[in-house]
Amino acid sequence: MMPDKVAIRISCVSHQFGEEGEARHVRALRDTSLDVARGELICLIGPSGCGKSTLLNILGGLIAPTAGSVEVFGKRVTGPMPRDIAFVFQENALFPWNTVFENVNLGMLFQGVPRAEREGRAKRAIEAVGLKDFAQHYPAQLSGGMRQRAALARALSLETGILLMDEPFGALDEQTRMILGEDLSVLLSRAEKTIVFVTHSLGEATFLADRVAVFSARPGTIKKIIKVDEPHPRRSDFVTSAQFTSIRNELYALLHDEIRKTMAESSVSTAGGHAP
Amino acid sequence: MIAAAASHALRRPWVARVGVVVLLLCFWEIAARWWVDPMFLSPPSRVIASLPAVFETRGVPAALRVTFWELAVAFALSVAIGLAIGLAVGLQPFVRKSFMPIILLLYGTPQVTILPLFILYFGIGPASKIAFGVSHGFFPIVMTVVAGVQNIKPILLTSARAMGANRWQILRHVVFPHMIPSFFAGMRLAMTGVLLGVLLAELYVSTAGIGHFTTLFTQNFDPTRLLGLIAVLAAMAILLNETVRRAELHFSRWHSE
Amino acid sequence: MTPTGDRREARFASRAVQVTFLIALLVLWYLATTRWRVSPLLLPNPVVVLRDFWSILTTGEFIGDLRVTLTELVSAFGIAASSGLLVGYLISRSQYRIQVFEPLFAGIYSVPIILFLPLYVLLFGLGPASKIALGVTISFFPIALNTIAGFGYVERTLVTAARSMGASDLQLFRYVLLPAALPIILTGMRMGFTVALLSIIGSETIASLAGLGHRIVYLAEGMEMAPMFAYIVFVVAIAAILNTLVSALEARGRRR
Repeated sequence: MMPDKVAIRISCVSHQFGEEGEARHVRALRDTSLDVARGELICLIGPSGCGKSTLLNILGGLIAPTAGSVEVFGKRVTGPMPRDIAFVFQENALFPWNTVFENVNLGMLFQGVPRAEREGRAKRAIEAVGLKDFAQHYPAQLSGGMRQRAALARALSLETGILLMDEPFGALDEQTRMILGEDLSVLLSRAEKTIVFVTHSLGEATFLADRVAVFSARPGTIKKIIKVDEPHPRRSDFVTSAQFTSIRNELYALLHDEIRKTMAESSVSTAGGHAP
Repeated sequence: MIAAAASHALRRPWVARVGVVVLLLCFWEIAARWWVDPMFLSPPSRVIASLPAVFETRGVPAALRVTFWELAVAFALSVAIGLAIGLAVGLQPFVRKSFMPIILLLYGTPQVTILPLFILYFGIGPASKIAFGVSHGFFPIVMTVVAGVQNIKPILLTSARAMGANRWQILRHVVFPHMIPSFFAGMRLAMTGVLLGVLLAELYVSTAGIGHFTTLFTQNFDPTRLLGLIAVLAAMAILLNETVRRAELHFSRWHSE
Repeated sequence: MTPTGDRREARFASRAVQVTFLIALLVLWYLATTRWRVSPLLLPNPVVVLRDFWSILTTGEFIGDLRVTLTELVSAFGIAASSGLLVGYLISRSQYRIQVFEPLFAGIYSVPIILFLPLYVLLFGLGPASKIALGVTISFFPIALNTIAGFGYVERTLVTAARSMGASDLQLFRYVLLPAALPIILTGMRMGFTVALLSIIGSETIASLAGLGHRIVYLAEGMEMAPMFAYIVFVVAIAAILNTLVSALEARGRRR
């Protein structure tokens, strides 16, 4: 891919937690390389523990990889880059003592946006996710889906080129996920953002992604990349199309063995042995 | 008819509660008038009627003011010192692990044994009362501040860091607001502690505070004025406690929902 | 190093800091009184304190005061516990009574009970009776409140299940209510004991002719710093022992 079209360049990244021989030693990622193009939405999917969340944290500069490097817009990642990268986490990362509006505002304060601009940007972001009537509510007063919308609004208001989303809809019920997925697709068609989206859900990955990177079991590496050739915004009828079904089946086939492998490994380690 | 109305009204607990209090007051009235030597106990009617006399006793209003001031200063110092120590200990895990056991140990000792020492060191004036009050009041603040700082969800700190917050911003916008409900709960306990400490010291020895007058009325076998003074002090204590309790409720709105 | 090794190392380091801190304090104390000429009327020499402490223990001169204090404590706690348990149980039997009395008790307890001391001294004099009276007053409330909470809020389903199996009133009490309420009641009794001890020592300090609290005041008035410090250490130790015992009893009772 041409360098200026690359938003994120991941080069031979490996990561392990702890030292060899320690009880907590885990090889999370093995030799992972990937180029993420500007404006594309790439999904990372794989069995539990395959390192996809670890990779996301490495991309965002929250963890330094034990080997390899990551470049974002041509700059090497050495720590958080709040002007270029925004996160949406699975857990509720909204500050519970602030209203939705205050949460969004605070994010921009951290990033360094001048006070005059903050109010306008906050209002626009909150409206974009459909929470205009709930801007003065506290997170405890909102449903799970609305909280994640608020978290998304906070990330959007930061106006970064890249959005890293770690199973943002993972804690929500199926129906809310469907709706939020469709809304996300609409949002993205409007703004040119590069998104790396970690998910467990095959359907979600197929619906949202331009490309899906399938990970192997731990230590994870990219097994295969599948393209989803359907323009955004994707409508709800895409889910019933033949293309959707065939891609989803392909993902399932690729993942099935890896998931089995992960289950077997975890039952071995709970039985007392160390994974080789 | 009246019985029926009464039993209907009694169905509400607060009415019964008031009834119990009234009954106790009547019992006190009867006991004080006919059974107990008036040198030892005074009926509530006389106590209430003599309240103005209590206030007119030379020095009592000033003593009340001094005591109130001692309470206020002791509380403010407890909060300031407790907050400083709590933050210093709570924010650094190693400091916390090292010093928390020592603090807990000190908190568990009966401080009243060193009351004479406080008087020896700080004199018989207000300073010793304030000091003793602070030594009772700052512990709950340290405990609750440390607890409030400790149990922040890591994801909130990660999130702030990812958005580019520096150390000072994290402290101000994440750690501090998170700790506020615990802090106010601690203030409620601190007020109880300060009341205990200041009043204990006052009752032990006092020249300018109300302790002087409780001793005076006791020695002069004046139960009327003593009970009046105690009632006023109790009212003061209730007022202070209630104020802090309301403040706690107000600032913890987001927490309880 | 393994993670458990890391943690062990960290714990050792904290311990080391604690021990060093305490030793440093003792050293400072010693230096203050010997090298730096702090007046012995302000701070006694720790060695002298230790010597006096030892002599107090070996001569048994503490016995008289200790007996007074313990008698007051046992009397006060005994009366408070029996009345608190009884009253608490009776109140807990009816939801209505709970609603009437629980807030009343909680309200009274929120006032600093120490204010009653001058009244009790006026009524009962400077002897043990006033200390016991105050001890009972202070200690009664946590016991009563916890007894109410323990018996009053037993899960309805447990009671219903037992009744449906034909349990009599006595059986219900012995096999359902009591075991369910016991942990909370024991906690209340522990709290009651602790405040009783504090109030006894406190009232002995303020207005008494005998007892450990009085002894400390007596020595303070005589400016006998070293014996006073020794007695302070003694009282703190006794309090710690008693409180530990009571907490252990509470834990034992709860584990059953």
